Amino acid sequence: MEKFKSIIRDYPFIAFIIAFVILAFVPSVVFTDVYQSHLATLIFVNIVVAAGLNIVKGYCGQVTVGHVGLFAVGSYTAGTLFLYLGLGFWATLPIAIIVTAFFGVAMGIPSFRLEGPYLALATLGGGEAIRLFIENGNFFRSTFGISDIPTPSLMGYNFDSPDRYYFISMTIMIIAVYFSFSILRSGVGRAFMSIREDPICAAAAGINVKKYKILAFILSAMFAGAAGAVYAHMPPGYIHPNNYTVIEMVTFLAMVVLGGLGHIWGGIIGAIVITIVYDLTRPLYKYQLLIFGLTIVLTILFMPKGLGGFIDRYFLEKRFKKKTGTEKTT
Amino acid sequence: MILKTKQLSKSFGGLKAINKVDFELPKNEIRGIIGPNGSGKSTFFNLVSGIYDSDPGSYIEFDGHDITYTPPHEIAGYGLSRTFQLLRLYQDMTVINNVMSGYHTRVPYKFFDAVIGRKKIWDQERAIKEEMMELLSFVGLADYAELNASELSGGQRRLLVLARAIAMKPKLLMLDEPAAGLSPVNVDNLMKIIMQLKEKYGLTLIIIEHILKVVMDTCNSVTVFDHGQKIAEGTPAQVKDDNAVIEAYLGKKMDDEEMRKALAV
Repeated sequence: MEKFKSIIRDYPFIAFIIAFVILAFVPSVVFTDVYQSHLATLIFVNIVVAAGLNIVKGYCGQVTVGHVGLFAVGSYTAGTLFLYLGLGFWATLPIAIIVTAFFGVAMGIPSFRLEGPYLALATLGGGEAIRLFIENGNFFRSTFGISDIPTPSLMGYNFDSPDRYYFISMTIMIIAVYFSFSILRSGVGRAFMSIREDPICAAAAGINVKKYKILAFILSAMFAGAAGAVYAHMPPGYIHPNNYTVIEMVTFLAMVVLGGLGHIWGGIIGAIVITIVYDLTRPLYKYQLLIFGLTIVLTILFMPKGLGGFIDRYFLEKRFKKKTGTEKTT
Repeated sequence: MILKTKQLSKSFGGLKAINKVDFELPKNEIRGIIGPNGSGKSTFFNLVSGIYDSDPGSYIEFDGHDITYTPPHEIAGYGLSRTFQLLRLYQDMTVINNVMSGYHTRVPYKFFDAVIGRKKIWDQERAIKEEMMELLSFVGLADYAELNASELSGGQRRLLVLARAIAMKPKLLMLDEPAAGLSPVNVDNLMKIIMQLKEKYGLTLIIIEHILKVVMDTCNSVTVFDHGQKIAEGTPAQVKDDNAVIEAYLGKKMDDEEMRKALAV
């Protein structure tokens, strides 16, 4: 066991390969109908967005409410590339990621001068502007939405049904989470956290605050772009501006806040819980927004570090007690 | 000379917070900076470390680099580290992460390697963590490494801020009131640790301190600020008897004749 642990520590991607293998067997062993595969794909898309949002909001502390706009940019880049050039998933995914990265720069520039609620307002405007631009542009098929975006195929095998597309979304999710873990566990993650806690002190400690802020925005935009492209190509391949409203943004925020802002697992736990709850409470759709709003408020009030922080705390206190023999509680 | 300023000025509106200060600091010296509140000591620190931009006409040189208009993170890269009067602790990070974030300028790998997550990154990260744990046990915080910085006591916070500033292995360390709010015993302990760290890393030190005993006991030389100007400089003994200094702290020193005149009015 010890040896296994040290191997994982040196080569963390092995853990992700194991996760990949386990998840690959889930559809055939656990799922009972196709809808569950579809739900799983949605969870994976949300995990990618939430992991990205956790970088910029949880770690770097930049309150962005325009993230859903970047998600829309990813989706619509993929959609329009298919519509006008007939490109498939393997071409649209990297292009969507790059294009969204540029939009991430635009979204991040206000963070040089704005902070907290002011930055939230600026980014909210940015995100809504993107959605309105799409909704009112004939180029993007305005409110008709883009339909029949094809599912990807690889060496003659077409991932054309939800239980097949599951493997695409799952692979992208594993890769994205792997990148987010590597980034956040390294010195870059620490630099992000220092900027969140105190930008002036971070600058005095040798951290280029502007560079790292924009880096956080670019990275999280790339996550959102990848998620957007996966979402656009998901069967039945239909995207509509109404999928990218502030309501979706609140859902993404609820994921990150519930999972734990600035916790490495934060967005992931939150995305799983919120997506499943969202699905289970579909009959109560009138109250869903109320529930999510309430979730955010209650989590911030009673569990400011989310589920992830709560679990961490439990183990930390146990370890501290073992080491020093004293209680340490806050 | 490791640090040199010429005609250093800074005004906030009409207030001249720092007014034409020439300052020179040789290597390996421990320099104390004293002066009444509002005399420009902290502003001087902020100017040197690049947090404020100095007024036109100023010149600051650190270790051979002209840093007059250099942004703070580059100045830190040259090897200048500082602490803040109000600590500016990263409250919501663990103690070990606080110290490791101070290591930023020395992190050997490139960002791209970190994204890919290559093995050497994790080896280097572990080496950094070990080195920082050593530093933490040196200042006596090793047991608290995984707690949040906000859970430490006031004295421990002072030590943590010191450790974080040392983590980058600076050439020059500027301490802004390191002992403020500590009990006498803790002050002695802290100064002992600072002296040990100086020996260990070959630091040059500038210390702002209001506890005159600390300044007089530990510093090789003292600079006195008042109203944004440098009013005296020299060994602690010289400064203690300087009329301008006494005037700044206590008011004017008068002889009998003057006193009689003043009282007669």
